Amino acid sequence: MSNRLRPRRLRRSVVAIAAALAVGIVPAAAQAAPVDLATVGPFVVLGGSAVTNTGPSVLNGGLGVAPGTSLTGFAAPAVVTGATHENDAVASQAQADLTNAFGVAGGQAVPPGNELTGIDLGGLTLTAGAYGYSSSAQLTGQLTLDAQGDPNAEFVFIIGSTLTTASASSVILTNGASPCNVHWRIGSSATLGTGTQFVGNLMALTDISLNDAVHVEGRVLARNGQISLINDVLDNSKCVKSTETPTTPTETSTTPVTPTETPVTPGGTTSPGSTTPTPGSSAGTATPVGSPTKAGPAGSGGAGNKKDRSAPTRGGSSTVTHGPQGPNGTAVTVTGKKIGKVVVRVDNEIVETSRAPSLKMNVNGTPGTHTVTVHVSYKDKTAGKTTTFRIHVPSPAPLTPPSGPSKFTG
Amino acid sequence: MTIRRDSVTRLPGIRRGVCGSALALLAAGALGATAAPAPATAAAKTPTSRPLVLLLQSHTARVRPDGHAQRIEAVASRRPLTRVRTVLPVLGEAVHGSWLRVRLPGRPNGHTGWIAAARTRLASSEWSIEVDLSARRVAVYQGARQVRRFPAVVGAPSTPTPRGRFFVEEALRLAPSASGAPYALATSARSNVYAEFEGGPGQIAIHGRNHLPEPLGTASSHGCVRLGTKAITWLARHIGAGTPLKITR
Repeated sequence: MSNRLRPRRLRRSVVAIAAALAVGIVPAAAQAAPVDLATVGPFVVLGGSAVTNTGPSVLNGGLGVAPGTSLTGFAAPAVVTGATHENDAVASQAQADLTNAFGVAGGQAVPPGNELTGIDLGGLTLTAGAYGYSSSAQLTGQLTLDAQGDPNAEFVFIIGSTLTTASASSVILTNGASPCNVHWRIGSSATLGTGTQFVGNLMALTDISLNDAVHVEGRVLARNGQISLINDVLDNSKCVKSTETPTTPTETSTTPVTPTETPVTPGGTTSPGSTTPTPGSSAGTATPVGSPTKAGPAGSGGAGNKKDRSAPTRGGSSTVTHGPQGPNGTAVTVTGKKIGKVVVRVDNEIVETSRAPSLKMNVNGTPGTHTVTVHVSYKDKTAGKTTTFRIHVPSPAPLTPPSGPSKFTG
Repeated sequence: MTIRRDSVTRLPGIRRGVCGSALALLAAGALGATAAPAPATAAAKTPTSRPLVLLLQSHTARVRPDGHAQRIEAVASRRPLTRVRTVLPVLGEAVHGSWLRVRLPGRPNGHTGWIAAARTRLASSEWSIEVDLSARRVAVYQGARQVRRFPAVVGAPSTPTPRGRFFVEEALRLAPSASGAPYALATSARSNVYAEFEGGPGQIAIHGRNHLPEPLGTASSHGCVRLGTKAITWLARHIGAGTPLKITR
């Protein structure tokens, strides 16, 4: 005996609008005005009440808090390449400038066509302009910001309450868009999901939470609330002006990198630039090094930094370490000097692209042997280096499904 | 989104093939908001794998990641046919990973909702299945790589196989005398024609052809996808609960 179901009515208009937004470019009706961060510039993280960190996060820039005084979890293995300001005059002035920038961003006119309330940012391609959410905003998937060839294109997102990104979401810049010109003004709190690749200056009235392995190219700035980090990488080096004082390293776990090549060891080490496969079950390191000239301090390669202009042009070096295969895959760590970009491939497919000064990640694959390639390029003229090694992922045993009744449509 | 990672750890209660994962942070969130994830649990990066969640108790699916949001339905912690733990594909997370957006079984086909991450455990699958109705073929992917392709019987024009994104609810061994033996992968899809069938909810399965003589490569089933014995046996030995399934025209 069977019953026929009535066909379900589709909400065609909603579906059509969503589909159009999902595949189309949303043009801006008017340009957004620049948002001047003033003395906030050197900070990559600035909290209001507190900033807490768990794990080996990397902050390529300054760290500060005001009016609160709590900075927790930034001892090694965390890395902060910039100066730390704990409720001092510098942090207080930066908070004042953040308040001003927050107001400037929030005061921008949002054209009617740029009201995105209720629309997920995922899948959208937006051109320069101010965009508004009257309440919360969600990013699930990829948001593309298209500068259309204008390097000064400004993107301002004015979000009434919260911003939440789903795991592995990303903000992609294209056609000359700059992370320095992307501003997120959040009316309450922001949460970036695991593995999110985020771009821009995130300014929240209250709390900001970054889940594990989030990468931010820009800044994370909370006016009144706290900022929490977990094993994240934040980098504002592209947006630090040359007039801004170079920052002083405070906490670092970076061990000195010897400017000579590390020999291959039986434990799975690969030579710089080699493609020698090594046993996937063993750990190893590789130290590709450029010309052994004097190198600057790790992580000090901010764009426009006067100190960098006088630095040696071939001072880059890197160490690639990979551990044994574990439950979560094989740990891969890249550290070094003047690292500009790290691209990690598994079987020739890119699984990670990082512009952070160091990288720690796990790689894995389907059962079998896989080739992992780590290519490191540098901020100066040091020749890029490629390290290749293999990992072996064991096959699971065949499944044995339990018995059950056949109650299917057949 | 491009969540990627996988899959060697085997989670208790999940059948092999639904592998432990990778989404370290998600996992941490799933185990409770107070548990700070250790650095060593960073997400593993692979070209492709799909995040899953295992339910340790029954959950309520809601329209938003909020305990006061409108209720969609209850999601039992175990599947009805074999009583294995419910495993759902994860589509996203919110509120510090304390809420997970998941694909839900049953009607309406392909619907989703939010469940609390408490009393769940994160996993992932390297596998996915695609059914091409026009070609009448089933393709199996391991990561991004197609590893098997089988000819199939798909739904007749009057009782079509529903299209959309689904998942394998549970895999089961059928009695040798049962129609569709020797194995079946019970899916989250439901027939758009039959509200119930043979005492079941009109559930769409991928199963064998025992006592079902219609030839492979035809559109002649009641909505289920039928495979040859070797093909369904291979699937049953490799595919576990939660595996994503896409059915296309």
